[in-house]
Amino acid sequence: MITEAIETLQTIPVLLAINGQEWTGEVPVEEVLLETLRQRLGLTGTKRSCEAEVCGACTVLIDGQPVSSCTYLSFEADGKQVTTVEGLAQSDKLDPLQEAFIRNVGAQCGYCTPGQLMAAKALLLRNPHPTYGEMSDWMSGNICRCGCYVAIAQSIFEAADAPHLAAAQQAG
Amino acid sequence: MLKPFRLLRPATIEEASRELTRLGDQAKVYAGGVELLLLMRHGMVEAEYLVDIKRIPEMDVLSWDGQHLRIGACVTHRTLEDHRLVAEHLPLLAEAERHVGNVRVRSQGTLGGNLCFADPHADPGTVLLVHEATVTLAGANGRRELPLADFFRGMYDVALEEGELLTGVSVPPLPAGWRGGYQRFEQFYRPTLNVAAAVRADGDRLADVRLAAGCVGPQATRLSDLEQRLRGLPLADALRLVGESAPYLEQRLEPIGDLLGSAAFKIHLTKVLIGRAITQTLPSPAAFAVTVGPGGLGWGNP
Repeated sequence: MITEAIETLQTIPVLLAINGQEWTGEVPVEEVLLETLRQRLGLTGTKRSCEAEVCGACTVLIDGQPVSSCTYLSFEADGKQVTTVEGLAQSDKLDPLQEAFIRNVGAQCGYCTPGQLMAAKALLLRNPHPTYGEMSDWMSGNICRCGCYVAIAQSIFEAADAPHLAAAQQAG
Repeated sequence: MLKPFRLLRPATIEEASRELTRLGDQAKVYAGGVELLLLMRHGMVEAEYLVDIKRIPEMDVLSWDGQHLRIGACVTHRTLEDHRLVAEHLPLLAEAERHVGNVRVRSQGTLGGNLCFADPHADPGTVLLVHEATVTLAGANGRRELPLADFFRGMYDVALEEGELLTGVSVPPLPAGWRGGYQRFEQFYRPTLNVAAAVRADGDRLADVRLAAGCVGPQATRLSDLEQRLRGLPLADALRLVGESAPYLEQRLEPIGDLLGSAAFKIHLTKVLIGRAITQTLPSPAAFAVTVGPGGLGWGNP
């Protein structure tokens, strides 16, 4: 359970659809979605890192749109679909992005990976066949300090059924 | 963790204005939160109350009235980047919006928040200046319209009175026969410098021209005197004159030297980007008219 270091002044009842499961509860107005997910709900796949909307490690989808859960107040998600990395796989079946990241070793330390996956998922939901430029523009807000960009790009294009694009367009 | 605060969610402008007047400095206007929540986390802004203005109906309007695109203050950057009406009437704004922050910031952040925060390093304001956009402000004493150029008052400073809210921006497209250009240079997630140009060309002459530069000094600024001197010149002469404009730019833009570069470097970059932006507006832009994209760290651009 969350421990409130400082007493909250106001809570708001919310109904969240998290990875397809409904959750209702009261959240303090100042609580950010990252805290709700990790501390209240135990969904620790979403990572805390820069807390400044720069690095992308805490990326989750709200109604399919990527947001930085570190700087998104939880009450804003009331009535919305929240998708985290835990919701990518369908029961035992990994998402094609997850399979491609594993196949290509699209990670080294793995800390940024949940955010990379969620940003890539949002891209492919909106644009199933991105060009290299569209992909790199979209993903430019997700930083991998280990520098696995080539393998991540390859994984995204394989998941988009266009593995040839990664190598060909990057070279071009 | 954010310090506890109380949340108010007014349904009308009048109610929001009343609460802001009553609470004064204790309250901050909250829309997307991408700037405000960061400052609160770092203790740079103290807020006992956040006044969430997203439930006020007119705040998310995006409509075309035949002469202006009306953009509500709470319309997000993503919407502006993607919306058919923006692409049709204000392609230069769509281009600038594409570069704001990253895709997450654009999903959450609003145009109104960006303009009211008035960070000198921002994209939309520079383009809206060459469009001669007007802001609508509403408060206890009713509504007023203000040219965007008068709304910007300095670094993080805008012409909002106590209890007053920015409700939206009215943006006329460029007149028929004009074309726009937008050039930017970026190092750390925000533009280091940007320039917007709009030109009505007559053969190889600049029959008319509008220019604005952002991020150089405290606020995005129209370059009216330079525009006047460029009017009627052939492109080659205009570019030469831009190259000699450093004294004017220094006086007009009040360049600030910082981690992103010295004041002299920024004036040099301004001249270069003005030249590129003007050239970009011409029917067959020269090869050097390349926008420097968001880049990011490591993703590269093909």
